[in-house]
Parts: sequence; structure tokens; C-alpha cells
Amino acid sequence: MTTTIAYRRAEERLTEPVDGAPLDLAPVVGTWLNADKGASGSILRMHLAQRGQELAIRVFGATGGEPYDWGEVIAGAYANSVTGNEAWAFIARYDFGFMETSLFAYTKTGILVQTTYSVFRDGSGRANYWTREFFHREEA
Amino acid sequence: MRATSERQGVRARDHAAGPAVPRVDHTPLLGTWINFDTKTTGISRVELSDRDGSLVVRVFGTGEPEEVDWGEAAAIAFSEDVRDAEAVAFTAEYDLGFERVWLAGYVNRRLLTVEPGTTFADGNGRAPYFTRAHLYPE
Repeated sequence: MTTTIAYRRAEERLTEPVDGAPLDLAPVVGTWLNADKGASGSILRMHLAQRGQELAIRVFGATGGEPYDWGEVIAGAYANSVTGNEAWAFIARYDFGFMETSLFAYTKTGILVQTTYSVFRDGSGRANYWTREFFHREEA
Repeated sequence: MRATSERQGVRARDHAAGPAVPRVDHTPLLGTWINFDTKTTGISRVELSDRDGSLVVRVFGTGEPEEVDWGEAAAIAFSEDVRDAEAVAFTAEYDLGFERVWLAGYVNRRLLTVEPGTTFADGNGRAPYFTRAHLYPE
């Protein structure tokens, strides 16, 4: 079973069968706070929760005043390899109508590193833009 | 959707004032980027090109006996701010039939970091997986 399945990178080949069990989402579930406390004017905090076997994310944007609730969407959870069984990363997409924002995030040594990619569709002349931010878990 | 100013937004950075940016300059992204890790089992090379004002990406994965060409995909360029006209990042999507890859990348000090998130549709039980790779300009 080493070369009979399709792949586009060597790391996608399997040397032994895998069971395809759902990923353990615990490593990413919880409330994550931006280390900059919203000073950059981007994302203030995120809540990640398990909904059945899926990962849900709810983002709050920093506005300088009341945080802006982006609402909840289902995110894709990812292991670190094709044989992994724990989530260490996720990708989510928000469609606000006037703008679409994609979130790519991974965890490392207790920190969540996230990049965002926003595309404007409203003809406002704003450039599509990117951010990179660092989050830590909310203390219990 | 609530409008917090004349321009709609969901965070303060969306509202930054300034002149319209007619087009993001792709130049900082363009060229061939090689994985620093010579023993990688992931992405070996990425080519980014400007095709009549549109950004195009072409990815090569490791394979035997040679690299695996993913072909070209349309990409979207991003700057660091709604007022900036210089590209520093991109996204693209590859639908390869048995797998779908959401690809994002960004440049920092002539280092390109790419982050592919891959899901499989072939029922082989492979987990969806996310990796990171660092590439230098050829």
C-alpha cells in the first residue's frame, strides 16, 4: 500500500493502513486571546468548540470599543501528518458579503499562530490584506 | 452586516482611511522559491508569476523518481494593510480530485512561508493535514 494511492507529495504515501478516525479536537478547543490585547485592531479573541465531530470557531474583532462578533462557522481541523490523530491546526472562512476572510492557524508550544487573508468585494478601493497574530489560551 | 463607518468592516483595521489602491503590485512574490529543507517530503518548489495582472501559482511536490507538478492555479495577492499596494502574501486553492489543498503563503525578509491544508476525498483514511514550509528565492 505504499504507492498504489494517489499523492502529490511523498509525505502523503502510507506505509500502513489507517482507520480514518475523526481527529481529537481537544488541542485547539478553548478560548484564545490575542497577545496584543487588540492593539493591532485585528482579532481580539476566538472561541473554538467541538460540535459533534466538527470544529466550530467564533471570532471577535477588535474595534476600539465593543468587540465585533463575527458569528460562528465550521472550521476544517488538521493533523500534522496523514497518519495524525490530533488537531494542531485549522482553516476557517468567513463570508461577510462585502468581504471574505480566510483564517489559517496552527498551535505550537501553547501558542496559536494565525494568519488572516481578507478579500474586499465592495469596490471600496481597499487592498486585500493579510495579518499575522499570536494567541494564548484564556487562563481558567 | 453592521456598518461602523462609511466603509464596512468587522475589525478596526478594515476601516483604515486612505486613497484607493488600484492594484496590488505582485513583484515581491514573483519568481521561483525553493524549500530550504533539502530532505523535505512535502512541497519542494513554488513558482509565482504575473499573467496579465493576475497572480498564478505553480507548486511542485516531492516524489519518486522526480518532483510532482501540481499544475497552475489562480492565486490572490494580499498586502499588509488596506492602504498598501505591495504584495506580501497570497492564497490559492487546488482541487486535485483525490485531494483538495488550501494554500496560503507570505514573504518576510525574502523568506517565503507556505502553509498547505490538505483534505482527502478518496476514502483511504488519510487524515486531513496541515504543514509549513520555508522557501528561498532561486
